[in-house]
Amino acid sequence: MMTRSLITWLALSGTMMGVQAAQAASSFEIADTTREAYSRINPEVTRKQRADALHGRSLFRQSWVVPPAQDIEIAGLGPLYNQLSCLSCHPKNGRGQPPENPQQAMRSMLVRLSLPGRDLHGGPLPHPVYGNQLNEQGVPGVSGEGWVRVDYREERVTLPDGETVGLRTPRYQFADLHYGPLGGDVQFSPRVGPPAFGLGLLEAVSDQAILQLAEQGRRQGVNGHPNYVWDAERQRPAIGRFGLKANVATLRQQIAGAFIGDMGITSSLHPKENCTAVQIACKQSPSARQPELTDAQLDAVLGYLRLLQAPARRNADDPMVRQGEQTFIAIGCAACHAPVLTTGEFPDLPALSGQTIRPYTDLLLHDMGDGLADHRPDFQASGREWRTPPLWGIGLVERINEHSYFLHDGRARNLTEAVLWHGGEALPARQHFARLPVGRRQAVIRFLESL
Amino acid sequence: MKNLRLLFGLIISLSAFPAAAKEKLTVLTAYPEDVVSRFETVFERAYPDIDLAVLWRMPHDALPYLSQPQQGGVDVYWSASLRNFMVLKNQGTWQKLGISRQGLADHLGALPLADPDGFFCATETAGYGFAVNPAYLQSHGLPMPKTWQDLADARYQGHLALPVPSKVGFAPMMIDSVLQQYGWDQGWAILAGIAANARLVESGATFVTDGIGSGERGIGPAIDFFTASAIANGAPLQFIYPEPAAYSPAHIAITAASRHADAARQFAAFVLSNAGQKLLFHPDIRKLPVRAAVYADKPDGYYNPFAAADLHPVVYDPAHALPRLALNNALFDRLFTDHHPRLQALWQKLRTHEVAGKDERLIKIRQLLTTVPVDAKTAENPTLQQTFIDRTTDAKAEAEARALEQVWRQAIDRRYAEAERLLKQLAP
Repeated sequence: MMTRSLITWLALSGTMMGVQAAQAASSFEIADTTREAYSRINPEVTRKQRADALHGRSLFRQSWVVPPAQDIEIAGLGPLYNQLSCLSCHPKNGRGQPPENPQQAMRSMLVRLSLPGRDLHGGPLPHPVYGNQLNEQGVPGVSGEGWVRVDYREERVTLPDGETVGLRTPRYQFADLHYGPLGGDVQFSPRVGPPAFGLGLLEAVSDQAILQLAEQGRRQGVNGHPNYVWDAERQRPAIGRFGLKANVATLRQQIAGAFIGDMGITSSLHPKENCTAVQIACKQSPSARQPELTDAQLDAVLGYLRLLQAPARRNADDPMVRQGEQTFIAIGCAACHAPVLTTGEFPDLPALSGQTIRPYTDLLLHDMGDGLADHRPDFQASGREWRTPPLWGIGLVERINEHSYFLHDGRARNLTEAVLWHGGEALPARQHFARLPVGRRQAVIRFLESL
Repeated sequence: MKNLRLLFGLIISLSAFPAAAKEKLTVLTAYPEDVVSRFETVFERAYPDIDLAVLWRMPHDALPYLSQPQQGGVDVYWSASLRNFMVLKNQGTWQKLGISRQGLADHLGALPLADPDGFFCATETAGYGFAVNPAYLQSHGLPMPKTWQDLADARYQGHLALPVPSKVGFAPMMIDSVLQQYGWDQGWAILAGIAANARLVESGATFVTDGIGSGERGIGPAIDFFTASAIANGAPLQFIYPEPAAYSPAHIAITAASRHADAARQFAAFVLSNAGQKLLFHPDIRKLPVRAAVYADKPDGYYNPFAAADLHPVVYDPAHALPRLALNNALFDRLFTDHHPRLQALWQKLRTHEVAGKDERLIKIRQLLTTVPVDAKTAENPTLQQTFIDRTTDAKAEAEARALEQVWRQAIDRRYAEAERLLKQLAP
């Protein structure tokens, strides 16, 4: 009854009407159910923009080369790195996955590191020996930093109607640390590579819109807040949009950060190789050039990611999907997973301006409880807070990425598990979900699969 | 709610434990991430004691890397670059593979699948053919092409996209396969007709999915896996193998300097195993296994080169092509790339007159447009071939190549000018 009354209230208040009103297709929305659905470039752009985006795509897909090398344009991997290619962690522009057992390496996942405290701009304090990310690989002659092994402890959860669901808790162990122990006060955060499409649209959501979402959330009983981070390009604080804790202000900085952090490729934003003072062989290893990723290349990748379309919803008229959508809203999921946003003015790429999009995120940080906490603060994100991840395209993960691992560390093996891991501010929504009759729960999952 | 019991709390151990040391195996390849990641994952499951580290280099950059002392720390080279495997074999930088070849054929028709001295062997192959957009052909009322000669037909004028071999990695061998199949003179004549019908493209890996898939052109000669993968991922394309088909194999070898030879052999054996070969069927890979038995489990519609070779024996031998690829590339550019709009205009006029009626001058004009400035015998001259191979690294060779090209340019220009003069005579 409570659920039904909530639906009625929300419908009358216009929240659901907002969803219906957003049916007008954006040129950044693509009706595509193939395995290329995360990789479509908006065709309604100039020839030059498209050519630049195609160049960016080739760089995004490129396996990078250890210097020195003849192919200077694609050289610069390492000295320390995680993977050779952007595509490694964002396969087919989609989601990475965690290892299944301790014998497997992290192939589309990494571990951020820091010590308690803050850097000059309020960000995490890098580990003095290992930096802010464990780089498992080193170029020939440089030892990788070590390994992180993961295994899982399985618990069965019984829902009120008697259905049982297995939830697995990850356990991480560091192995073969080549530069000495991490120390007991290290903070670390395992991350699976998130999808890479639709990022231009999220960048074009205005600060004002994000602040309004925070206010709307408060009216619905959640306390999302933006992460104010350091904008290294503009040398001032700014609202963070990118990264799993919204800890990066712009897509350009996110890309440059991934190039240096994940692949050891320098750029004008990160001109120094990712070696700490004690990593002598790393410091002595040659760079390809300075910087290794030119501004033109960085901007090409930026152009590519900005122009990637987001998959359109499917089966929206299916009665079960509609019921699931109504329930999703009614039990409070949409308070954070905001269904519809409108982008603001975006002079850098006007095509991104004024777009009605369905990302199912508010781009805000929310307390997700102890279960999902990484205990690693990042600017204004606490160790329990995460940015609401966009849900668009989530129903295609299994088809495109051939797995169904969700959440920041991939612990959830399906969408039901992912919902049941929600805690903190999301606890009431999760409790509502758990109390639903099995058919209604399935409808919510069917709705998510339609995104 | 009483029954709802959720476990919270990330269980973390900070103690760095001394894991059993894995043996590090370094593989140098030019395969893309889509291929590498799948082999890494499945190999890791089968051999958890081996830590597979992959390095990436294009063939031209891999050769000097593998030629340095200790071969750059590489244990296994796994790439589609027959030239590198042969050059490095001559340098004595491989050790014998020493793995079982049971169930593996040594030849696919004229195509060798294993080095006769046992230093390297093929791990997969890829076929050359035509990426086709069926909807495009239907809307333009065009038939499906079956042979390279078909592509030179006037009705395909404006409907093709042809990769330039000096710019697109897979194209040199593809172009040479036409020369081997039809012979030097007829092969170049067919290529002239195809070039006249085509937009010349310099981005081979993407033009199939971008250019043909989008309907910009209807047919693109290409290597198969780009198209096959695009089809497996939902693109409305087809790939047609000419009969007989030509193939470009990839190989694997173990470096002489490897200090992990046993692990290297395990990796090579895995790549050639049933499990490794079946990975090639993945929609994101779509290469052709060299272990014939695995085709029993191939996806529907998957091309089987062994079955195709029974009907149309393979005649193309890439080893024969290798010494003349650089020469071919130069000839292609001087004949077609440098003159493309002029060439297309000439062919259009020629075909218009050919349709209108017979005239002995038309035979002469066609001859002028299809004659290659180097004859078959000269093209086999090893000194000439080496000059064009060396031109990128040797200033003297570059000067000689340029001088030869200047002679060709003048000859080609004279022929095209004569064709223009004769066509003007024919003008109504």
